[in-house]
Amino acid sequence: MASPLISNPEASSDRSLESKKKKRKKTANQNPEDPTRWKTRAEQQTYSSKLLEALRQVRRNQPPASPEAPPRGRAVREAADRVLAVAAKGRTRWSRAILTGRLKLKLRKKKPRVAVAGNCRSKKPGASIIRLKEKRLPALQRRVRVLGGLVPGCRKLSFPELLEEATDYIAALEMQVRAMTALTELLSVVGNDAATSSNRSPPN
Amino acid sequence: MEKEKLFMNSGSPPPLSYAASSSSPPPTWHSASSGMDVQVGELNCSSEQMRNCYVNLNWENSMDQSGAFESSLSSMVSSPVASNATIHGGPLALRELIGRLGNMGNSGDISPQSQTLGGSAVSYIGGNNSTNTSCYSTPLNSPPKLNLSMMDQQLRGNLPILGNSMPTHPSLVPFSTDPGFAERAARFSCFGNGNFRGLPCQFGFNENEFSYRPAPRLENGKLSRVSSSQCLKAAGSQLGGQENKEAQLQDGSETEMRSAAAASALASERKFSKLPGSSTPESAEFASAREESSASEQIPGGEAGLKGSNDANTRKRKAAPRGKAKDPSSSPSGKDEKTALEKEDQNAKKCKSSDSTGNENNESKAKAEPCGSNNTAGDADQKQSKETPKPPEPPKDYIHVRARRGQATDSHSLAERVRREKISERMKFLQDLVPGCNKVTGKAVMLDEIINYVQSLQRQVEFLSMKLATVNPRLDFNMESLLSKDILQSRGSLPHTVYPLDSSASTFPYAQHTQQGLPLQSSISNVTETHCSVNPLDAALRQNVGMQFPPADGFGESAPRVGTFWEDDLQSVVQMGFGQNQSQAVFHPQSFHGSLPTAHMKIEL
Repeated sequence: MASPLISNPEASSDRSLESKKKKRKKTANQNPEDPTRWKTRAEQQTYSSKLLEALRQVRRNQPPASPEAPPRGRAVREAADRVLAVAAKGRTRWSRAILTGRLKLKLRKKKPRVAVAGNCRSKKPGASIIRLKEKRLPALQRRVRVLGGLVPGCRKLSFPELLEEATDYIAALEMQVRAMTALTELLSVVGNDAATSSNRSPPN
Repeated sequence: MEKEKLFMNSGSPPPLSYAASSSSPPPTWHSASSGMDVQVGELNCSSEQMRNCYVNLNWENSMDQSGAFESSLSSMVSSPVASNATIHGGPLALRELIGRLGNMGNSGDISPQSQTLGGSAVSYIGGNNSTNTSCYSTPLNSPPKLNLSMMDQQLRGNLPILGNSMPTHPSLVPFSTDPGFAERAARFSCFGNGNFRGLPCQFGFNENEFSYRPAPRLENGKLSRVSSSQCLKAAGSQLGGQENKEAQLQDGSETEMRSAAAASALASERKFSKLPGSSTPESAEFASAREESSASEQIPGGEAGLKGSNDANTRKRKAAPRGKAKDPSSSPSGKDEKTALEKEDQNAKKCKSSDSTGNENNESKAKAEPCGSNNTAGDADQKQSKETPKPPEPPKDYIHVRARRGQATDSHSLAERVRREKISERMKFLQDLVPGCNKVTGKAVMLDEIINYVQSLQRQVEFLSMKLATVNPRLDFNMESLLSKDILQSRGSLPHTVYPLDSSASTFPYAQHTQQGLPLQSSISNVTETHCSVNPLDAALRQNVGMQFPPADGFGESAPRVGTFWEDDLQSVVQMGFGQNQSQAVFHPQSFHGSLPTAHMKIEL
C-alpha cells in the first residue's frame, strides 16, 4: 500500500527532528549545524588561535603601512569575520557568503535599507488608516529583509531558513565577541605590561 | 459533497434496478446483517432487537419474491425467538435464515438479503455465544472456512441441520463454499467501518471478480454491491441521526462511511430503537434495522467501490493506514484473531470503536495520526473536499500533520500549518539565544529584537576589531606567545589554575611574562564567560605550554626563534588542548582536524 511508503518519509522526518533535538543535548556527537557548538570552549580556542594567526598576518601585511586605526581596524574586522567563517567550516550560508566576498555584502546591505526608508517617506499623508495598514502589512516583510541584510548571504532566503541562519550567526557572533574581547584584553594588558617593562628595563 | 451526492445517486439506482421492488427489504436485510456482523455488542443486543430486524424485514418485504421469502422470514423470526432460550437455538435460527436466504437467493435481491440475514444470524449467534469470533465476519464468512471459533463450528454444525429442517437449497452450498467471497465480504464489512477508502477498491475488484464467477458468486457479488450501496445509504442516514446529524445520505459515501464506522462502534452501545432521521423511509427502516447491525460497515465498503476511482483511491489510502493504525491498538472487544478477515474486522472494529470512543474529531485525529504520511495535494483535496461537509470532523491527511479540531483541513492550510510550526520552532531557538526576548510575543517584535541584537553584536565586533587594531602594533612575539598560551589554555579558568602556570613558568626567561600573565589570566577569566569547566585542562595546558617554552635569554635575541618556537608550541598546545578536550567529550573531532591544517598553513606563512 502507499501508506507504508508515505509514512516512511514522515517517520524519517520526525526522526530527524527528534534526532536533531537529541543531538543538541548530546555533547559527544554534536550536530555541525547546531548553533550551540559556538558555545564550546574548543570552538573558542580554535577561533582564537586562528584569529591570532590572521592578526599576525594582517600585521605582517601592513607592518610599515599606515598606522591609522581605520584601515587596520577594517582589516582586522574582515580578518576576524573571515576567521569566523572558516571556523564555521562552511556549513552555513553566512559563512560561505563571507568567504566568497564580504565587500559585496557590505554594499548590498546599505541599499535595501535606503530603499525601505524611501518607501516609507514616499507614502502620502492621505489615507492614514489605509497607509497604516499598508505599512503594517509589509512590516514583517520589511523586518525580514532587514534581518536578511544583516546576516551575510541571506538576503533572499525563505523565512524559516533565514531564522535558522540567523540563529547560527548570532551564536557565532557571540563567540566572536567573546574571543575578541579576551584577545583584546590580553593584548592590551600584555602590551601595557610590556611597554612598562620595556620602559623599566633599559634603566636596569 | 457533490461527489458524494453523485455517488449516492449512482449507487442507489443500480441496486434498485435489479432489486427494484425490494428496495426496502434489501436495505433492512443488509442493515440487519451488516450491523450484526460487525459488532459483537450489537449482537449481544436483546433478541428483541433481532426480532425487530426480522420484523422489519418482513414488513419491508413487499416483493414478489417475498412470498417464499416471507415464509422464510417468518420462520426465521420465529426461530430466533425460539432460539433465544438457548444459545444453540440462536445459531440454528441464524443458520436457518442463512440457508433460506441463500436458497431463495436466486435473484440478486434475495441473495444479498439472505446473505445479510445470514450474516446477521451469524452475528446473532456470535452474540449469543458470547464468542466474538464470527461477529466481525460477514455472514458469508461463517459458513466458509473461516476458523473463527467454535461458534463457527457450531454454525457449520447447525447448517446441515438447518438444511435438513428447511428445503435444502443448492445456493446454500455456494454460500459455504465461497470462502473467497466470504472473506471479501468480511473484509468489506470490516473495512467499511474503519477503512472506507480501502474498501472501494477492493470491493470494486471483487465485484469484477464476482461478475466472472458462477451464478452464486455473482449473486454474492450483487449482494455485496447491493448491500453496500444500501447499507451505505442507511449508514449515512443512521449516522446522520446518531452522530453528526450532518451525515446525510447526500453527504456522500465518505461521510457515510465515517459515520457508519462511528455508528457501528456506537451501535453496540445503542439500542435498536434509535433511528436517525433518514431521507427516505427505506433508509429510516434500514437505519433502524441496522443500528445494532452496523451494516454500514459492509455497505460503505461496497458502495465506496462503486464510487469513482479517485474516491476509492483516497479512501483506500485512508483505509490502509487506518487499518494499520488500528492494528497495534487493541480493541476492547478484540475477538477475531484467527483469520485475516477477523483481523481486518478487528481493525475495522478498532477503528470504529476508537471512533466511537472519541468524538468525531478524535476519530479523525486518531486516523490522521497513524495515517500520517505525505500525500499529494490532490488526494488531500479530495479527502478534504469530502470532509468539508462535516466541519466538526477533523480531516485525515497523509501529511504528517495532525489536523486539529476546528481547524481548516485544506491541504494548503495544513502545509501552512507545517510551515508555521517550523517558523515558530526556530523563533523559539532564537528566543533562547537573544536575551530579553522571553517577554516579547509576536513575530514582528521578536524580529525587531533579533535585528537589534545582531546589529549590536556586529557593532561590538567592529569596535573590538578597532581596538585590536590599535593594540596590534604593540604585539610582539613574546606577547603573541603569551597570548597564545593564555588563549589556548583557558577561557573561563578559575584563578587558582593560574598559579601552577606561574610556578612552572617562573623558571623560564619569560617569567616576567608569566607574572604578567597572571593578571592577564585573571582578567581573562573575568572577562571571558564560558560555560565550560576547563580547570584541569587549563592547568595541564598551562603546564605543558610553560614547559615547552624554550629557555630563551631575552626578547630580542630569541625573537626569530621565539616566533618559530611559538608556532611549534602553538601546534603542540593546540594538539594537547585538543587531546584534553577530547577526554572531556566536549570537543568536536572534526573541528580539530579542520583547525590543525589551517593552523599549519598559517604557521607556515
